[in-house]
Amino acid sequence: MSLSTHNVSVGYHGQAIVKNVSLTLPEGKIIALLGPNGCGKSTLLKAMARILTPMGGEIHWQGNNLHSTPSQYLATQLALLPQTQPIPEGIKVKDLVAYGRSPYTGFWGRLTKEDHKIIQQAMEQAGVTELSEQFVSELSGGQRQRVWLAMTLAQDTPYLLLDEPTTYMDLNHQVELMNLFKTLNEAGKTIITVLHDINQAARYCNHLVVMKAGEIITQGEPESVLTKELLESVFSVTAQIHTDPVAHTPMCIVE
Amino acid sequence: MLNRFKKQSYLVQCTALLAVLCLFIWLSLFSWSIVPVSASQAITALFQTDKSIIAHSIVLDLRLPRALIACTVGACLAVAGAIMQGLTRNPLASPSVLGVNAGAALGMATVTILAPSFGLFGSSVAAMLGGAVTWALVMVLGSAWRGGEHGRLVLAGVAISALCAAFTKAILILHEDQASAVLTWLAGTVANARWGHWHQLWPMALIGLVGAQLITPTLNLLNLGEDNARSLGIKLGWARILCSILVLILVAAALSVAGSIAFIGLLVPHMARSLVGHDHRKLLPISAMLGALLLLAADIISRPIIFPLETPAGAILALIGAPFFIYMVSRRNR
Repeated sequence: MSLSTHNVSVGYHGQAIVKNVSLTLPEGKIIALLGPNGCGKSTLLKAMARILTPMGGEIHWQGNNLHSTPSQYLATQLALLPQTQPIPEGIKVKDLVAYGRSPYTGFWGRLTKEDHKIIQQAMEQAGVTELSEQFVSELSGGQRQRVWLAMTLAQDTPYLLLDEPTTYMDLNHQVELMNLFKTLNEAGKTIITVLHDINQAARYCNHLVVMKAGEIITQGEPESVLTKELLESVFSVTAQIHTDPVAHTPMCIVE
Repeated sequence: MLNRFKKQSYLVQCTALLAVLCLFIWLSLFSWSIVPVSASQAITALFQTDKSIIAHSIVLDLRLPRALIACTVGACLAVAGAIMQGLTRNPLASPSVLGVNAGAALGMATVTILAPSFGLFGSSVAAMLGGAVTWALVMVLGSAWRGGEHGRLVLAGVAISALCAAFTKAILILHEDQASAVLTWLAGTVANARWGHWHQLWPMALIGLVGAQLITPTLNLLNLGEDNARSLGIKLGWARILCSILVLILVAAALSVAGSIAFIGLLVPHMARSLVGHDHRKLLPISAMLGALLLLAADIISRPIIFPLETPAGAILALIGAPFFIYMVSRRNR
């Protein structure tokens, strides 16, 4: 109930990419936004993270219009991990992660013991503790992605919005990240993530939202969403659906 | 020595800089005066004033306001440069490169020559308006708010600067009789500074410098990119407007008393960054002190060159600044 869109149209330069979408995101789930390139899944995520302002319709947070809710308060409720990040010069990893606490620290940004504890925990969860004294600009793309993730985690919000978080990451860190989602989810957080890999989404997420050409095609549990017909109509591939032998979740194999 | 200084704690660095600044202020009180002033007279003039001694009068009426104004103008320009670089995330941003100086010069020249009855206050308001208009133009043309590339913003700045400079020259040529005041202003100098200028300068400088220090935590978050800053609860539009207003206050305050002084806003933030890193909370105070020091030093150096005449401090800064800038660029590329 917390986060919902009502007839939302949003896009760039006056051109709507997401068209008239009404969607209620179930609380306490790991939600994946899926769809082919350019379907508007990232755009919709950005609108929900208030990076983009809808051209029409409203996004609601706890029943109130998201764009009229105070931004400082929202920063303690919704955290976004953008897809592309700038490379800030001269900032150490631990300082960057500490910026995640800024919605809480008050005006000057002085950190309390509690803040330090949360920063430490966020760095451990993202696996960047041993990088803490290094400069962000000296890291590899995958390492940097995990540092930004740590900053987002340090924001300690009940809702996490992630835009293709596994990009740049090698396989073991992808697996670690998806397992981290499970841990965070069990601790009560709602996770909304844009993913490319359908099998990854089906295995680790418990609610899938499938989009095509700016519209929601279907949503629900992986078992009900992932069908031969859907893959055919949305992704234009002929595929078989099998059960993952390890996790017993549906997985698709392209013919 | 520089490396050892870099390793010191922030407090030690500040204290050391402040001490050097005091030393330079003292130096500037007595060095190269037509009527000789001794080093000790510079001190006694401040604490045991005897107006019958001509050296004391020189120190109090001419040298002290000049030193204070040089420091404050230097600090204002350096801090304005640091804010602009933080706001645009562009290492080349500064009042001179992004056209604020040229716009202010055009505004000031227009009012001084076409409507001289407005006086000093009128010309500083005109300088501020001119600077504001060019700053806004450069921001729009350079599409700074839409993640425009660094090069585009600088190109817009250079183009607008050139346009303003051309208009300023045209005004000067058409009204040659009043050109000398504007020319002195364009060169940038604190040689003519008096207490009257100081009273005009300090309120704006104080507002600008304190305000700048208050927005440093926001500048730190802007440095993380727009999406992250917004996600961390920053209201981007307000932050930008506030930063721009502060820049304009600082630049207008500095330019209206000292004329068009370039390079400080560009160079000093880089020097400060190499000392204390990229945290704006530390960067701005250090920038302010270094800017004060640099303009004061340039003012002292400008005196003996064609003694007893004065060389504009702005010219000295360009002489020091250009090679230093080239050095910095080459070091960055390595």
